[in-house]
Amino acid sequence: MGDHPIAAISFPAASDVTETTKVGLLLRTRAIATRNRIATALLEGPVRMLASLVLIGLIWYGLYKLFWAVLFQLHRTPLEATVAIPMVFNFFFVAMLALLAFSNAIILYNSLFSPKEAAYLLTLPLNPRDLITLKYIESLVLASWSLVLLGFPMMFAIVDTAGRPGIELYLAFLAFFLAFIPIPGAMGLLIAWGIARYFPRRLAKAAAIIAGLVLGASIASGFRSLSLGETATELWLREFLLRMSFLESALLPNHWVASGIDEAVAGHFPESLRYLGVTFVNALFLSWVAVVVVSRDFLTAYDRSSSSRSAGRRTASPASGGVAGLAFFYLPRPLRLIAAKDLRTFVRDPEQWSQLAILFGLLVLYLTNMPNLRLEFSRSGSLLIIPFLNICAVSLILATFTCRFVFPMVSLEGQKLWCLGVFPLQRGRVLRAKFAFALTVTLAAGWTAMTLAAVMLNLSPLWSLIHLAVTAAVCVGLCGLAVGIGARLPSFGQTSAARIANGLGGTVNLLASIALVSLILAGVGIASWRTQSIVDGDLPDLVALLWCGGAIAFALIVGRTTLRMGERHFERTEI
Amino acid sequence: MTTPLPEFAVELMNVRKQYGRHVALRNLSLQVRTGELFAFLGPNGAGKTTTIKLIVGLLRPNAGEVRVCGHEIGVNGVSAKAQLAYVPDQPFLYEKLTGREFLHFVAEMYGLSNAERDRELKSLSTRLDLLEYYDQLTESYSHGMKQRVALAAALLHRPKVLVVDEPMVGLDPRTVRVVKDLFIEHTRAGGTVFMSTHTLDIAEALADRIGIIHRGELIAAGTLAELRSQARREQSLEDIFLALTETQNG
Repeated sequence: MGDHPIAAISFPAASDVTETTKVGLLLRTRAIATRNRIATALLEGPVRMLASLVLIGLIWYGLYKLFWAVLFQLHRTPLEATVAIPMVFNFFFVAMLALLAFSNAIILYNSLFSPKEAAYLLTLPLNPRDLITLKYIESLVLASWSLVLLGFPMMFAIVDTAGRPGIELYLAFLAFFLAFIPIPGAMGLLIAWGIARYFPRRLAKAAAIIAGLVLGASIASGFRSLSLGETATELWLREFLLRMSFLESALLPNHWVASGIDEAVAGHFPESLRYLGVTFVNALFLSWVAVVVVSRDFLTAYDRSSSSRSAGRRTASPASGGVAGLAFFYLPRPLRLIAAKDLRTFVRDPEQWSQLAILFGLLVLYLTNMPNLRLEFSRSGSLLIIPFLNICAVSLILATFTCRFVFPMVSLEGQKLWCLGVFPLQRGRVLRAKFAFALTVTLAAGWTAMTLAAVMLNLSPLWSLIHLAVTAAVCVGLCGLAVGIGARLPSFGQTSAARIANGLGGTVNLLASIALVSLILAGVGIASWRTQSIVDGDLPDLVALLWCGGAIAFALIVGRTTLRMGERHFERTEI
Repeated sequence: MTTPLPEFAVELMNVRKQYGRHVALRNLSLQVRTGELFAFLGPNGAGKTTTIKLIVGLLRPNAGEVRVCGHEIGVNGVSAKAQLAYVPDQPFLYEKLTGREFLHFVAEMYGLSNAERDRELKSLSTRLDLLEYYDQLTESYSHGMKQRVALAAALLHRPKVLVVDEPMVGLDPRTVRVVKDLFIEHTRAGGTVFMSTHTLDIAEALADRIGIIHRGELIAAGTLAELRSQARREQSLEDIFLALTETQNG
């Protein structure tokens, strides 16, 4: 093999770029893209952006007031406050540890093993470690949003109820949050790599579903064993505290952060700083370990993940097509075809149905435990509290589903409008098909849960009917909002449902859904309270019925109006 | 600066690639000489994209070896990638960057000085007609425009090996002509072009050598004359392609 002396085809520098780190360049490019994104959003929809910020501010304020009220009540009995407040911190950071590890794992799996950006960067002379570092930092920022949303209002409430507001407390909280975030982030990075490395793609989905079901069953089992005993007694409390004591282990990160915050609130800053140091050093060490371990084997993991995407041909049962068509027998033929197409997509995508199945599976397990609780509440004369809590749980689960899966449907259709857009039907009617599909799925799930709840609680026929009607109204309202706002504030360029749901339109839909559910539940709550306290019986009086009717009418009007608004906009949309 | 190059810019030796139970490539061996424009043809699903992804280091072979400019891509990945550039059929551009910002990012990635970058960009942006869109976000670009920016990004550091997948799709006739000229100039300057395409007349007009892959196996490789001889007919590349792939199907 002879070497050819060929004239310079390559710049000298281009052959010499091998081992220089590019993390700075990648971060700088991200910063430029973020600046451009903000500038575009401000230019295209300043009012929309402002409205979103105001709504987020309102949610923060609401959460702050909620935390403040809880902490204020606890501080009224100092002995209980001494025991309960550190425990609240502990639980909060345990929940955050699990939630953020899970969020980081999902974000990192999708961004590191995606066929787009990661594939492009891997063809450049870039050390995989730089790509992983970039994606890790990006994931920490994106995933920590939930900590910011929940943590900051809690921080302000703690400072205000502690009675010694001071800048040093705010700084301490901020430092603890920043030191804590990389710990679940590193766990998420290792989980994402492990799934890509050791599980083929479809197995990864199956593993996620199984993990979700196991987690749900464990929670339900724990709940069942706790609810079987004498509820709300000293014995029950003691057993509960004993079961939860493992969370206070000095080896767990939630303990370092919770104790550090507790010490800071008590004014013991040297002790607080010690906990901060432990948290910070562990976060750095874990991040280093995770990035180094994943970098060494990343290309193999990427290859396995990419190869499994191309493996085999996927088939679908022809029977599922027929069932999908039958489910929408009540729609005119063109709309039935579109709704049936959406149902087939839903059934064939475990990512969508598995989350709804897990949430409602948990709810069913909870409902089957209710007779014990009912006995306790009937003794205390608060019989309508449990049905009300049930409808709250069902409504919030339905809101989660519509925000995450129904809202992105219109945006995802944008790529396919070359096909749908030329069908001989008004484009706005496509939205009605989406609405019909979403309503069918949510009603099936919501009514099943509420019927089971009514049977288990032996609820009176009138209250059972009221709850089923309210559930239907919640479904109409939420689906109308998700489809209508989805058409009004779409992200047609985006192909990831998760990113669409997390975008500006998704945030507006989330906030609107929370507001809608809160107002409907407020109406039902007032009716339940009035029946229990004023009427002093099981049956509602006319005023209570009017409150429920008002809540139902409100949900129907909101659903109808938003859907109509979306239809009008969708008719005019140019893609 | 004079840089010695190996005889073969791209080498695949007994490469096997499986996706689960599906064998995408069976003991593929292929050598592309330095300074050659090699056209890689094959029906849909034949293994063209898998071969390209192995060359640019996005996939790893289950068996065999892939070398770019003498560097084994699985071992010296970064060194190998510094020598090549890849333009896929659906190029990735950062949507929230302007064309200029994206090209500056790529130039810095390859370590070009600002003077080198500006000189190259001036020439490429004029030839590929980028100037009008230079400061617009790439999310507003048409497919053809994205393809032109991706080509400019690929040629910016004067790669020794340029790997392109369906380079002419979505381009207007004028740009197709410019791209053809750029490829020819690139090979004349000592660079290598590995081009996967379905457009047989472009392959026929440009390629020094042509390889045809079918069901994961290289069924023919050589100059157009050699392929005619192998197919035993004096016809166009289209007829030769159909004859060879038909024979394999039979």
